[in-house]
Amino acid sequence: MAIASKSANSRKVKNSLAKWMITLGGISVLFTLVLIFMYLLYVIKPIFESAKVDAKAQFVIKEESKVLATGVDELKEVAYSITKQGNIDFYQLVDGGGYKAGEKILSQKLVADGERLAQLINIGQEQKLLLDTAGNVQLIVPNFSANFDSGERVIIPSVRYPLGEEYLPIDEDNAGLTKLSFAMDDEKAIFVGFTQDKRLIKTTLLAEDDFSYDTAYEVEYQEIDYAAKRIDNILVTPDLAMVFVREGDQVAVFSLDDDAELKATIIPQLAQNKSTPNHITSMALLSGGSSILLGDDSGKVSQWFEVATEQGREFKKIRSFNVSDNEPVVAIYTEQFRKSFYTETPSGEMGMFYTTSEADLWRGKLHQGDAQAFAIAPRADGLVIFSKNELAIFTVENEHPEVTWQALWQEVWYEGYPEPEFIWQSTSGSDDFEAKFSLVPISFGTIKAAMYAMMFAVPIALTAAIYTAYFMTPGLRRKVKPTIELMEALPTVILGFLAGLWLAPIIEIYLPAICLLLVFIPSSVFITAFAWHKLPREYKTKIPETWAPIILIPAILIAAYAAFALSPVLELHLFGGDVRQYITNDLGIDFDQRNALVVGIAMGFAVIPTIFSMAEDAIFSVPKHLTSGSLALGATQWQTLIKVVLLTASPGIFSAVMMGLGRAVGETMIVLMATGNTPILDWSIFQGMRTLAANIAVEMPESEVGSSHYRILFLAAFVLFVFTFVFNTLAEFVRQRLREKYSSL
Amino acid sequence: MISVTPKNLSEHNVKLDLNNLTPEQVALEIKNLDLYYGDKQALQDISMSIPKGQVTAFIGPSGCGKSTLLRCINRMNDLVDICKITGQINLHGENIYDRHTDVAALRRKVGMVFQRPNPFPKSIYENVVYGLRITGENNRRVLDEAVETSLRSAALWNEVKDRLHESALGLSGGQQQRLVIARAIAIQPEVLLLDEPTSALDPISTLTIEELINDLKKQFTVVIVTHNMQQAARVSDQTAFMYMGDLIEYSDTNTLFTTPTKKKTEDYITGRYG
Repeated sequence: MAIASKSANSRKVKNSLAKWMITLGGISVLFTLVLIFMYLLYVIKPIFESAKVDAKAQFVIKEESKVLATGVDELKEVAYSITKQGNIDFYQLVDGGGYKAGEKILSQKLVADGERLAQLINIGQEQKLLLDTAGNVQLIVPNFSANFDSGERVIIPSVRYPLGEEYLPIDEDNAGLTKLSFAMDDEKAIFVGFTQDKRLIKTTLLAEDDFSYDTAYEVEYQEIDYAAKRIDNILVTPDLAMVFVREGDQVAVFSLDDDAELKATIIPQLAQNKSTPNHITSMALLSGGSSILLGDDSGKVSQWFEVATEQGREFKKIRSFNVSDNEPVVAIYTEQFRKSFYTETPSGEMGMFYTTSEADLWRGKLHQGDAQAFAIAPRADGLVIFSKNELAIFTVENEHPEVTWQALWQEVWYEGYPEPEFIWQSTSGSDDFEAKFSLVPISFGTIKAAMYAMMFAVPIALTAAIYTAYFMTPGLRRKVKPTIELMEALPTVILGFLAGLWLAPIIEIYLPAICLLLVFIPSSVFITAFAWHKLPREYKTKIPETWAPIILIPAILIAAYAAFALSPVLELHLFGGDVRQYITNDLGIDFDQRNALVVGIAMGFAVIPTIFSMAEDAIFSVPKHLTSGSLALGATQWQTLIKVVLLTASPGIFSAVMMGLGRAVGETMIVLMATGNTPILDWSIFQGMRTLAANIAVEMPESEVGSSHYRILFLAAFVLFVFTFVFNTLAEFVRQRLREKYSSL
Repeated sequence: MISVTPKNLSEHNVKLDLNNLTPEQVALEIKNLDLYYGDKQALQDISMSIPKGQVTAFIGPSGCGKSTLLRCINRMNDLVDICKITGQINLHGENIYDRHTDVAALRRKVGMVFQRPNPFPKSIYENVVYGLRITGENNRRVLDEAVETSLRSAALWNEVKDRLHESALGLSGGQQQRLVIARAIAIQPEVLLLDEPTSALDPISTLTIEELINDLKKQFTVVIVTHNMQQAARVSDQTAFMYMGDLIEYSDTNTLFTTPTKKKTEDYITGRYG
């Protein structure tokens, strides 16, 4: 009795222990999955958040005259103002360096005594062109350097003169300038201006050595042939290629090579309103310098850039933004490194937009219409506004303006492209590059790779499964099945490596042979089977029936040999000696060495064991009494197979195919090594593709943590997750339905 | 001694002399049949004639070879690789083991119903017409007629006529077995082989099937394998007792159960083994 109760107790303990362990295991698996899912969402979430602008600090500062320009250092610790009097004043924005917030650190006179500024032209965010009333021109850059001598960081402001402190001789005739624009690189600085005597002039300063360390130059004067009474804006592109000259409602574009020819004239179709005709009110150059933005008094901003058309390159209106319903757009401020821009209306209503993604990011009012100067912080994370006697600093949270649902999944018209397209191109060598984050090509690549793999794998795997489960002798089946399943253990990196480096060149060289194989192998199988069927019984009985398929091996080998032997002959006589040339030149189909055919074969090979194994199990587990029932009704083996076995096994076969598809979608190494990773939208079997999984593997190591690119890669991972989730759920759902319908006793 | 009253004895007063049947009376003739599973001999020199339009039962203890013998008649043993058969079974004077025999055609002439109901995972209608469809019959009218006739013959029509297009798997076990019988008779076989058709069914369903067998012999020659001696006595006209692969005794049912001539038969029917 004692022993019995003791063993009962220990059984109880073991029971509850097992119960808890299993529960714990199950819950932790679920918990981990949810955690992965949450983390993905946590990383992705910021890219869909809207922009925010918050007031950070305000200082009462009385300048003796109007503020013409303002700006701030990278860390938003020191701001400056340039006044009409020709003074630049630097103000501390946070306590530090011995100054209180709001205190003036430095004040410097930029013009000669008794002079004042007639005009100040902002060139980009840093450079300021100063024009005094005497017609002197000067280029300055407010400069900030960090000093750590006192043990803490102190920002020391100064003024830099990139073209020397001397007066810049812009006009040969010394007439006054009404409008001026400028851009420079290390070798050249080009000024384009409109003089008071109505000449459009181009003045080039050629560096004797290099402007970055020697300001010595030679001057070249040139007059641009253009008759105008008044010029409203002049904008020179930073690459010194073009200048945009706006006269009222039309913009003339001149190339800035030696001839300074008129390239194009942009005449926007403005929405006409009966009472008051609309006019262009503002113009700005978008970061990168290939797009211009035109604001009009109907409250719209349109983006224009040069695209290739049948008539050559021409400027086209790409998209427009509705900034205001009733107010004109008086100013457009563009960011230095991104395609964002801010708009301003007379009442002080401001808007923040992003061109590529056509995002309307933010609207708001930051001042009472009395702003004198506006500047975007160098890192685009803040704004400075100088009103009459107030300096206001704002923080901007706008990390990922280039990502919108539309930019990810719809055709986007990128700069320089002839039409809207789906493009994935996340990085480039150039800084002012427009990142192209369309997930369409890589999602498409995933599906394309999976489809080609399935086209190769499904027929082979299913016929093999049917043969093994239904026709093969049990003894042979016991050997064949584990052998095929062993293929699954083959690391896919080896398959990918073989596909990319061994198979792809072979397919390229023996393309006709590969195509012939696709015809020869199935037909050789059918011919052999037919011949075997017609063979007199005397010969047939020499081989046991179960070993009869062995005769297929020489037949297939002969077919393969014939395909390879015929290949050069065929190539010579039908394709002029080189199939690749023929396909590319005569048929006009692009041919990549790493293409869908290679991927289909390699990934198909990887997927075959998955599909085979599950489908074979499903077919083999069709109850014998069902097949006997069919056979006993006079059905042949084939009729039984098709009408009863496959029907009954259909839920299992369907799952097998879906599992294979899921594997093909998520497969990384093979597609990484054998697709060429070209993110193009093309179903062609001779073209490569880039898949979601390969894209993550290729780009994740180079993407900056927290950047839009980084988050979009996580989004790609999420999309992949959704893909497999949808496939599996669909598969499970269909399988349940099939099982309800066809499950046998 | 089990008291057995073969109820159909009164109906068939004409006793057939099983050893001297006229060719017209014979449905099947089994001659010197030996069957080996690998090296093991499962049937030894079986010779018997099965009369037309009657119910013949094979009884015997488990493993005696009665099902194996039944499966020889429509060559279901062909599916077993290691099975080897010598001797002959004649249907219409032709040996079914001749190498020119079309096995599928043979099975259409010799239908079979298995121990467990095995309807296909299709509708009731499609189950019944399966045998017709595989011969290429797709005429709706012919199929409809065959469904009604066979289901009526299988005493199932009234129960399923309103749900012909529902899954056959929704039927009860007894209904499924009758459906399988309907399926077998839809192709109008000459001989119907029943392999322990009621062993997986409850007593009520068993009774229905037994009554059905009685009706079926008007149209078909029925051969039934059964474990249940009462059943053999109730439904069959002739009974063959088999033991260890040998045909011990074969005579009309009444005689076999009341006055067995062999010791082994008597031991079996009196319940000393089996």
